[in-house]
Order: sequence, then C-alpha cells, then structure tokens
Amino acid sequence: MLGIGQTIFGKHGSLTVNDLGAAAALAAVKDAEISPKEFQTAYCGTLYSPPTPIQSILIRLGVDRIPMYNVENACASGSSAVHLLYRDIALGACDVGIALGVESLSAFNRKFGKGLIAIEGDLQGKLALTMPSFFAMLCNRLMEKRGATIEDICYPSVKNHKAGMNNPYSQYKKEVTVEEIMASPMIADPITILQCCPQSDGAAAIILCSGEYYKKHSKKVYRAPVKIAGSSISVSGAEDSSYDPLALQAMIKGAKDACEMAGVDAQKDLDVVELHDAFSGEEMAAYEMLGLCNPGEGVAFARSRAVELGGRCPVNPSGGLLSMGHPLGASGVRVVNDITKQLWGEAGANQVVGAKVGMAQMLGGVLTSIESAVVAGIQILTK
Amino acid sequence: MSNQIIFHSGALDEKDGSLIQMGNKCKNCGKTSYPAVELCPFCSSENVERVSLSTVGTLFSFSVTRVPVGHYKPPIIGGYIDLPEGTRVFGQIHAKVEDVKTGMKVKVETGVIWTEKDGTEVLGYYYVPCKEESGGTK
Repeated sequence: MLGIGQTIFGKHGSLTVNDLGAAAALAAVKDAEISPKEFQTAYCGTLYSPPTPIQSILIRLGVDRIPMYNVENACASGSSAVHLLYRDIALGACDVGIALGVESLSAFNRKFGKGLIAIEGDLQGKLALTMPSFFAMLCNRLMEKRGATIEDICYPSVKNHKAGMNNPYSQYKKEVTVEEIMASPMIADPITILQCCPQSDGAAAIILCSGEYYKKHSKKVYRAPVKIAGSSISVSGAEDSSYDPLALQAMIKGAKDACEMAGVDAQKDLDVVELHDAFSGEEMAAYEMLGLCNPGEGVAFARSRAVELGGRCPVNPSGGLLSMGHPLGASGVRVVNDITKQLWGEAGANQVVGAKVGMAQMLGGVLTSIESAVVAGIQILTK
Repeated sequence: MSNQIIFHSGALDEKDGSLIQMGNKCKNCGKTSYPAVELCPFCSSENVERVSLSTVGTLFSFSVTRVPVGHYKPPIIGGYIDLPEGTRVFGQIHAKVEDVKTGMKVKVETGVIWTEKDGTEVLGYYYVPCKEESGGTK
C-alpha cells in the first residue's frame, strides 16, 4: 500500500462525481509521493456515476493512455476495484496502479428523485421489497433465532456514532442513545431511521504496488509496510426454503476464502474490522458470518464488548457507514483506507493499539434485476 | 372495461379464466424455481417443466414497512413464503399487522395491486392468512 486518500463523506451537492474522484485521487498521490504518470492501470468502483468516470477523473491528474476500467458490483463496487487492482499486481501484470471508488447520491437524487431505492424490473422490488424491509427481516430473525433484543439491534448504531465523533472524514458528529434511535421515525419494524446509514457523496482512493516497486519508491520510511494478504469477491446463488439470511453464503465463504489466502484465523488473528453496516442489525448479524465468533454467538460476542475500541476485535472504529456515511461505490475503497490507517498507526483517536491484521468487508446486492443476488467483497490486510 | 396488465412478465399465467403462479420444476435436481428463467437456477439443467406453484405456504419471515414505497401506502407487510415443494417466494401479505406471525399458513390470491394514472389496472399476487390458527412470533 503506497498511499491512500479520500474526501470528507457527506452532502457535496455542488461537486460532481469527477470533482470528488479527482480530490480523492490527488490526496492518494500526495500521500504516496509519486507522480500520477507512474500509474500503469486504474480501476473505479461506482453504481450511479455518468459513463467512464475513471477516465474523466484521471485526465485531470494528467493520466491517460493506460488501461482503465469502471466496475459495478453494488455496494461492493469499490471492493471489486481494489480486488482487480490487487489481482493485476499479484499476477505480475503491472507494478503500480490506482483503485478509486466514487458516488454522488445528491446527483442521483436530482435525477431520479429521493426515497428508498427500488430497482427497475425486479419482481421483489415491484412488490415493495426495499433494503430496509429486507434487513428488517434480518433483524426479526436475529430476535427470533439469536435472542437479540432491541438494545442489541441498536448497539452497532450507538457504538459507531460514538466512534464517528473522532473521525474528521465522517458525515455525522453526533452520538445517539438507544432511546433516541427508537424514538426516531420507523422505516420497517424494527428499523428506525437512526439504524440506517445516510445517503452520501464522496470518494476514496488507494495506490497499490508490488513489493519491489515499494522498496524502490516508498518515501515514508516511518510507515510499516502494509499489504493486501487476501482478497475475495464472492457471489450468492439461487435460494430455496433452506436458505437462512443469518448465514449468507457469499459472506461466510468470502471471509473464509480471504482469511485462508492470508493465512489468518479470524477468531484469533484479526485485530480490527471495517464492515458494511448499512443497517445497525446488519452489523450484529455479520460478526458470526465473518467468523469473528462461532456461528450463533454474535449477540453474546457483542455483549462482551469485543467489538468496541479496547475489545478483542474492534469493528468499525471509523464510525462505519452509519456515522461516516455511505457513498455507495466509494465505501469499498474507504474501508481498505481505514484498515490501512489502523495498521500504519495513523488512525488518531480511534487507533486500535498494536493492530497488525485487519479485514475490510462490503456487502452488496439484494435488490437487483435477478433475485436476491448478493456479492461480498473482502480484503485482509497485514503488516 | 379498463385495460389490465400483469405486474411482472412471467409471474402469472392465465389458466381456466384465473391467474396462477407457474414455476419451473427441474427434472435433474428436483427443485422448483419461481419465476421461471432460462435454465434451472440451481443446477443449470435445461430439463425443466412448467408447473403450477402450491397455493398455500408457510411465512418464513416478514417486515412491516411504515413509509410509502412506489405505488404502495404503509403499512406494507412483505415476507418470504416457503412452499411445500421447497420454493421460497417473496410477496405482500394482505392482513392486519397484529394478525401476522412467522410460521403462519398463508394462501395466495391474485388481483389488482395498483392502478396506473391512465387507469390501467396492474394485476399481481399477494398472500392472505389461512383461516386456521397457526404460527409463532408476531
């Protein structure tokens, strides 16, 4: 990892996708202390941007005539950009490149109107399945099968809003209590608005390189070298009545594959995790699926405070999507940025002391033109 | 008479004057998928036959949406229904919120699910509770 950069996440209605992307790319270039002309390839994750954003963004930094790709994989779009760049470098196809994620939901809303996003042409979407209603069922399963209480369901939101107070890049700087969360407007029982991530604009970028390139060009000698040791993109399949939303195979298999690739035991070795907490209950359900604890023990794991700063494996010390914000395509890159900062020891007030191994995860899908397609993108970073 | 259309291509077939849900039963792996797509989505086999879905199923899980979604006004009860053949179908449940419990038996019905501005009636399916008492968690 040669350099990272991002914009503040939030409402940037006056900025275009290209403005946001160029700001993040430039920040990453400054951090890496290399010329953008060094890039040999570039990837961009985004859902709703105008065509060819990566080309339009990088020309502003004088980068042209290299292979560039824009990838869409729902909320795992940014993870997919990181994965593809990592794969190019790991396979020796190139030495250095940039992976960017960008989204402007302000621009999307101006074009398509506000409200819960349902996908055109999807049978379930036409019958009013939305992201909150899907995750409301997940919360209801957590309460029914795992004994979660409303306090348990709200806990990730309380924890992450608290963490976001210390993050200069986060959309919200406000703590919330369980009482305030449950007093906020109900979206889909038991999910209230303060259990949902906001709509956001923003961008994040990383500059990755080979080990050899790093030895030659890394100028920040005080930083311990951080590498991507495992990376997976995992997609779900057709579902029948044996399928359990508390055991999403794309997530379980993706985490297992990435950990195996990195030679990491999720329960013992992971020091910090950044994950897709689009809804508070989603984070609660993810602990066991990612292997941080045994299957069925996610609620007890959270109650032991293992996922807070100072705990066994802090989750979303950045503030997560709930407090940082969620510019869809950017989040998959942003979680890699935040894990990198943790391993570099540059995470400020939310530093996990001594962090050596971290996981960056994104989950996307549910409402697509095919039924219940889910994609999980997972990177394991080590130093 | 007003114009009528089906809400989603292939979701409902007309049979003997009424609308029914038709899926694909795979002769290779035995699974029934809905709505029907090109090949068996479980095993990629071409060896499928069109079958009508069971009309009564068990509510696996549900949620109640309290804000408007598209053409629908709250409260909107949506849930996954497990059919005896092992197929899981998403649908709305037309019932009082307090009467809906996971594990309850529900029966499919068809009818107008919304009306377009030009008067076109959109036909779809939804589920209603069976008369018998069943189910667990509200």
